[in-house]
Amino acid sequence: MTTPSHIRNFSIIAHIDHGKSTLADRVLQLTHTVEDRDMVEQVLDSMDIERERGITIKAQAVRVLYEADDGETYQLNLIDTPGHVDFTYEVSRSLQACEGCLLVVDAAQGVEAQTVANALMALNAHLEIIPVINKIDLPSADPERVRHEIEEALAIPADEAVLASAKSGEGVREALEAIVRRVPPPVGDADGPLKALIFDSYFDAYRGVVALIRVIDGSISKGMKVRTMASATVIDVEEVGVRRPANLPVDELTVGEVGYLITGLKDPSLVKVGDTVTLAKHGATEPLPGYREVKPMVFTGLFPIDGDQYPELRDALDKLLLNDPALVYEPESSHALGFGFRCGFLGLLHMEVIKERLEREFDLDLLATAPSVEYHAFRTNGEMVTVHSPQDMPDAGVLERIEEPYLKATVLVPPDFVGAVMELSESRRGSFKDMQYLSKTTVEMHYEIPLSELIMDYFDQLKSRTRGYASLDYEYIGYQASDLVKLDVLLAGKPVDALSFIVHKDKAFVRGRALTEKLREIIPRQMFDVPIQAAIGSRVLARETVKAKRKDVLAKCYGGDITRKRKLLEKQKKGKKRMKAVGSVEVPQDAFMAILKVDE
Amino acid sequence: MSEFGDNGLDLTDALRDGPHIPAHVYIHVPFCRVKCSYCDFYSVSDLASVRIEAVLRGIEAELTQWGASGLPGVVETVYLGGGTPTVIVGGAVRLVRAALEEFPVRAGAEVTVEANPDSVTPALMEALAAVGATRVSVGVQSFVEGEIALLGRVHTVDEAVDACRAVRGAGLELSVDLMCGIPGQTKASWVTSLEQAVSCGASHVSVYPLTLEPGTPLEVAVSTGLVDEPDPDLGADQMIMAEEFLSMGDIERYEVSNYARAGRESRHNLAYWTGRSYLGIGPAAHGMLDAATALATGLIDPAHAKAGAARVRYGNVRDIDTWLTSSEVEIEVLDQDQTLREDVMLGLRLVRGVPHGQVLVAGVEDALVDLEREGLVERVTASGRAVLVEGVVPSMRWRTTRRGWLLGNEVFGRVLGD
Repeated sequence: MTTPSHIRNFSIIAHIDHGKSTLADRVLQLTHTVEDRDMVEQVLDSMDIERERGITIKAQAVRVLYEADDGETYQLNLIDTPGHVDFTYEVSRSLQACEGCLLVVDAAQGVEAQTVANALMALNAHLEIIPVINKIDLPSADPERVRHEIEEALAIPADEAVLASAKSGEGVREALEAIVRRVPPPVGDADGPLKALIFDSYFDAYRGVVALIRVIDGSISKGMKVRTMASATVIDVEEVGVRRPANLPVDELTVGEVGYLITGLKDPSLVKVGDTVTLAKHGATEPLPGYREVKPMVFTGLFPIDGDQYPELRDALDKLLLNDPALVYEPESSHALGFGFRCGFLGLLHMEVIKERLEREFDLDLLATAPSVEYHAFRTNGEMVTVHSPQDMPDAGVLERIEEPYLKATVLVPPDFVGAVMELSESRRGSFKDMQYLSKTTVEMHYEIPLSELIMDYFDQLKSRTRGYASLDYEYIGYQASDLVKLDVLLAGKPVDALSFIVHKDKAFVRGRALTEKLREIIPRQMFDVPIQAAIGSRVLARETVKAKRKDVLAKCYGGDITRKRKLLEKQKKGKKRMKAVGSVEVPQDAFMAILKVDE
Repeated sequence: MSEFGDNGLDLTDALRDGPHIPAHVYIHVPFCRVKCSYCDFYSVSDLASVRIEAVLRGIEAELTQWGASGLPGVVETVYLGGGTPTVIVGGAVRLVRAALEEFPVRAGAEVTVEANPDSVTPALMEALAAVGATRVSVGVQSFVEGEIALLGRVHTVDEAVDACRAVRGAGLELSVDLMCGIPGQTKASWVTSLEQAVSCGASHVSVYPLTLEPGTPLEVAVSTGLVDEPDPDLGADQMIMAEEFLSMGDIERYEVSNYARAGRESRHNLAYWTGRSYLGIGPAAHGMLDAATALATGLIDPAHAKAGAARVRYGNVRDIDTWLTSSEVEIEVLDQDQTLREDVMLGLRLVRGVPHGQVLVAGVEDALVDLEREGLVERVTASGRAVLVEGVVPSMRWRTTRRGWLLGNEVFGRVLGD
């Protein structure tokens, strides 16, 4: 057991790609937690997708022992947080487990939107913030300008900012020294009833649900009977331990310490991030503040391209759910696509990651429909229907109004691009709130914008229209009424439910036209004419036709051509397998995402 | 076409013969003066005489090896293709002579040499005729200046006309290759090319729609927008125009892309489309042997034969130096089921179509009934009249329709099946 005076709990926060995971790697190496020869890049990002995409999806906690310049050895608990706006709630819980943080800012890119968002969260959690200006070895690095930006934009003193290059290891020791000197040791009541914060959990095939916890008051040890305060689950503690980064069992975790708790539970939904663990009997009366249920924001239909893979898809989702309780899904059937699942995600990145994991880890070929949000449709009789899929939208005749989720979007951008951001945001139904100069080079703009518009190509457009300079952060603010309609798409005269989408009435005509044009490009010519129509109810807004193919000749067929052509035909056949037969029309996967790619 | 016999059930060599020398010999000459912008066949434009001599000796050695194999068989057709065989001038003459000397050759054998207009001279044509060539296939592609230039070819319209005259002047049969679907080509310019081909005395015309092969200069130019993408619908119209125009001059279609006066069909190419085996000699040449011959000559081992091999397709390496120094070949072994399907696929390329019995044996009747419903194939009587009743009539054949010619990939793909 280490006395709290020698414990420091900290996390690393940063805008995406500013070098958070690389810095974490160097901390593990410098403290000999992981020997150089065992080092793989981004040790803490354990999934392939995390490493490839350079993002952290799950929180991690590692204990390192650090011999400081004062000759004392400190127990440092590094809590690596997810680095994406989809996982804001998880980040906020991880920060609650710390007393301080390293705020990593790229020495060339400077302060970006998630730098601001993360720094605000850290300030709200009353953390000691140590700025680290990273990548100082880049030719385009300008640490002085960045130091200035941190002070101006974030109002965080940066004269003692650590200058570092996580890549080369320069400045890493200075960062650890700053943690020891500046981050306060944890304070708690060692003799009070147990209070521990769950800041993440995962499922282990052999041990069941494992929670990552931070002990605030009291202590926890093997064999104790504890309970979670929000979900009221009783747990017989099978084991407690710390991660270095492999699991190392310990006798107990005491005030201020961070570690894991093996619950033996089989159902991950019983252990929720943000919940408080206390004694089963005579426990604490007040839970730790800040717990809330995580709700999915973005919904999409996932369908196996080969209908026979439906049971495999269900099993795969069941398995992923164990490690990702934020994922929700229910069976959905589509006339066009057959049986699949309507899945809910925290955001677009979460959706992409899950789809990619399903395809890669479970070898499934999936077709995703365009993402949607949760609409609240109010019938004339006052009843509210939650709509996750355009198919579920009640008929216009019985609808009184539709409400949709709104976000407060924060865009950070150089002043030259303010006009471009305004133009884009307004075309996506954003309403301008305010803007302010954070520094001479950075303007912060606020918009209220429907989530449904943001999940179109808003982010891609923002990046391209500002030549990559803009950065985006957003938070959910609630539901507002909108004048929305359901737009149907008909192929060869038959409505294709999976292509329907919900759109603002003023945009229906333009988007309907743009979508039919796009579909005409995407759907290959078939053996017959394929009319494409966009309609609201029975009113057709736009019509295009994919003309029947007339010529697809295997011209030359001499000596060597026969083998060649056979290979070519086989390749074409494989290409066809990537398409979904909707009625008699072969529809490529891209078609279902076309609405995200239309130019207006 | 009588020499290919038609007993209603076209059995292939594979099911009929023991080891033998194939009746058809293809020789690949991998040299061109300039590489055309659309072509992805194997050829090099390094015309150093040492290299050419090495290739000629290599081909001659291979011909000698087969000639001395002691296997039975008589050669009926020889085809010297490329590349551009005529670019090596005397070399082409030497190879024709060698082929006809090394094998027992049937009287009246068809001996074709491929040529490009810029390498045809009256002297060369006379020399080829003197050693036994009977036919020259000239790669004209177009009789319109701008189109020729776009294809990256080095000849002019006048040279093309002169070349055709030289072929006829030496008493050789003339075949002309034409291409439709060229970017910028119009219906009017297409008629010009067809007219010229006929008036030059061609008894055989091959019509290919331009295929943009990945990585060729023309394909790159189209995909980067430098050249307009050919309109597939215009290409379809042009193919139909070719059929109608040539037919008026009694040059009738006998295969998807090939037209000839009666009796002037290419017997060598018909061998490809009727499942006959053929030798492929030279770098990048392809050949096809029945399993018995392939086993006897060591192309496959007994394990293949045991596993049910019926037909073996092989390709020599696409690199002169590797070909000269190794005996590496790429092989594709087909079992009996694949062989029978392939024969139906090839047969549907022919205007005369495929006998119903052959369709039954290959097990592709269902596929053809589906294709018939879509108007891509039809049932005809022995005399070529459409069968209007459902079911089977005596001596019935299956034939590709005009719509089916244009959608060949669909027809042939479904016949080849999984």
